Amino acid sequence: MAYQLYRNTTLGNSLQESLDELIQGSLNTYRFCDNVWTFVLNDVEFREVTELIKVDKVKIVACDGKNTGSNTTE
Amino acid sequence: MASAPRPERVPRLLAGCLPPYPPPPPTVGLLSMEQEETYLELYLDQCAAQDDLAPPRSPLFNPVVPYGMYILNASNPDTAFNSNPEVKETSGDFSSVDLSFLPDEVTQENKDQPVISSRHETEENSESQSLQSRLPSLSEQDIGLGLNSSSLSNSHSQLHPGDSDSVQPSPEKPNSDSLSLASITPMTPMTPVSECCGIVPQLQNIVSTVNLACKLDLKKIALHAKNAEYNPKRFAAVIMRIREPRTTALIFSSGKMVCTGAKSEEQSRLAARKYARVVQKLGFPARFLDFKIQNMVGSCDVRFPIRLEGLVLTHQQFSSYEPELFPGLIYRMVKPRIVLLIFVSGKVVLTGAKERSEIYEAFENIYPILKGFKKA
Repeated sequence: MAYQLYRNTTLGNSLQESLDELIQGSLNTYRFCDNVWTFVLNDVEFREVTELIKVDKVKIVACDGKNTGSNTTE
Repeated sequence: MASAPRPERVPRLLAGCLPPYPPPPPTVGLLSMEQEETYLELYLDQCAAQDDLAPPRSPLFNPVVPYGMYILNASNPDTAFNSNPEVKETSGDFSSVDLSFLPDEVTQENKDQPVISSRHETEENSESQSLQSRLPSLSEQDIGLGLNSSSLSNSHSQLHPGDSDSVQPSPEKPNSDSLSLASITPMTPMTPVSECCGIVPQLQNIVSTVNLACKLDLKKIALHAKNAEYNPKRFAAVIMRIREPRTTALIFSSGKMVCTGAKSEEQSRLAARKYARVVQKLGFPARFLDFKIQNMVGSCDVRFPIRLEGLVLTHQQFSSYEPELFPGLIYRMVKPRIVLLIFVSGKVVLTGAKERSEIYEAFENIYPILKGFKKA
């Protein structure tokens, strides 16, 4: 509850965190509806120890991870 | 993804009469109508490119009259030519001329589109006439026009004392004398430079509201608009952001909207218009009623440390200072009604203003007081 109130006030003086990410370059758009986050990123590098995958566009759909959470990347 | 640079709008008539303050954001001066329309096309195309949506074709946003000119006509004709910056009895809008030149609706739902367009057209005609007539001799006609707001469309006949249309025929002559004085001795401009210091508070945040005047389906907006959040369990509004101007909007299902984060009045208005356009493109009959700036926040640095304890002792009816609660002194100024947060470092935050001038005035008032409490 306290978190909710705090969130409401910071909206007015928001840090524009999402936009900072936009400026820094990768995040194209974001969306949050029905507890589902959807992100579209550009020019992304997926780095694993052995492999490096570069991609122009990534769509990330993320749901809450309470019991059954799923992350899908197209 | 980065927005293309907006074309620099050099206000031609203002060039050479720039106020001694940090330059306002690139704003429109009094350009000709053709130039206004060109800039409008460029601006809208850039917005459309950013938004990845089709450019707007709504009659609501047709630039029948560039906004700046519309405002001129409606209120202060004598301030049309800011090449005479001394004569600045303007409303807050003219401290830096408005970038969003789109026509505004000032009344409620009863105003129909055709009524608005015809009103714009008549004013457009009289404005262009009076513009041409005013161009040759500014100083005389400037004040003459100011006295005779009713005779906008008359050109040189305004200055005749016997003119029956004129509101105040007699003061015209003496006023033209006093006017020549006025042009020599500048009247206090809207945003006066502090006489004691060259410090000007910088605006950091503007909060404004506007009524889109139609019920909105927030879920539809959240699903179709870019950069939107909607969590009805937590907050009953869509939180949308745009990159340019960098702002956040809270859009409610009633059609009312709050726009925050802009650094100037014009940017706030422009941002609010962009949000309204996004909503409109999603299919809602959005309008732009009662845009109002609700709060302005500014900050500056006096560049010397301050004895807050001393200040709270002598100004206790205005100050509250609880260092254990908050490190800044909260000074509630009565006139203008502004709250200042004053810190030991010398940094000052001013908030609660509805107009830019209130911020400047409050700082003017507090600066000598702060100087008196400079840490040795």
